[in-house]
Amino acid sequence: MRFVIIGAGRVGLRTARVLREEGHEVTLIESNTDIAERARTAGFEVIEGDGAHEATLEQAGVDEADAVGALTADLNVNFAACMIAKHHGCRTVMRIDEDYREEIYQKYADEVDEIVYPERLGAIGAKNALLGGSIRAIADIAQHLQVILFTVTEESPMNGYTISEVALPAQARILAFGKEDVPMGIPLPDDSLETGDRLAVLADFSVLDEVRQLLVGQESAAVAMGGE
Amino acid sequence: MVTAYIMVKANTGEADRLKGEIEALDGVTSAHIVAGDVDFIVKVSVETPAEVKNIVADHIQAISGVEDTQTYISMD
Repeated sequence: MRFVIIGAGRVGLRTARVLREEGHEVTLIESNTDIAERARTAGFEVIEGDGAHEATLEQAGVDEADAVGALTADLNVNFAACMIAKHHGCRTVMRIDEDYREEIYQKYADEVDEIVYPERLGAIGAKNALLGGSIRAIADIAQHLQVILFTVTEESPMNGYTISEVALPAQARILAFGKEDVPMGIPLPDDSLETGDRLAVLADFSVLDEVRQLLVGQESAAVAMGGE
Repeated sequence: MVTAYIMVKANTGEADRLKGEIEALDGVTSAHIVAGDVDFIVKVSVETPAEVKNIVADHIQAISGVEDTQTYISMD
């Protein structure tokens, strides 16, 4: 896919790198000469200019782009860029600087398809790092719904069983499964759970404890799940 | 007659409630939810500069969820 990213700072450049590693085409827009130069050194095509201007976005190829990420630290630039990009038929993602704004933009900004608040993602990562162990929060899907990655341990009650034998609570689903050191894929009923295997589970907060006890046992019982 | 524009920064996502409470204040002629560094721009129209201060300090800042305000008095 083709993406235009506005802002080549920490958030924008990192996002561009991840997209490029996955084989996508990325053009960056950056107003600061030094930061633009740094992104060019990293091998990116960079348009120098104001991402809130239509001409700059056109120069960056907004017409051919599938999606535009407005990832600068300036909300006005981000919102203006999303308005223009939407007009050009792109999917739009906007970075916000404070989480209470998420609700406001979701409700009032039709031009913005999705909102990202980098600090929240950073907090999930920091929490996982601090807690360590065999449970990782991957994403908050909704206020009461989270995707969690579990690693099967020696002590896991389900160690040795197959996926079809795992009886999760009604408010939880296994989304993906991966044997140790193998990329994750679609879970099959006959996949067996062994030490080191990973399970991605979508679960309601109310049943997280139950899911955890089933998949990893009592170990790290104090792990808090909330992404907030 | 004094016209002033007040930039209001919130710390809550309840934009509708805040907008409603601001619009209900005497002297406020309009309130808009805006994209950017502030969350609302409020226009007031009153008799004296002291009344502007009264609306901002005593009423807008007293609304729960309002974090900060900046007032600009119109010169024309």
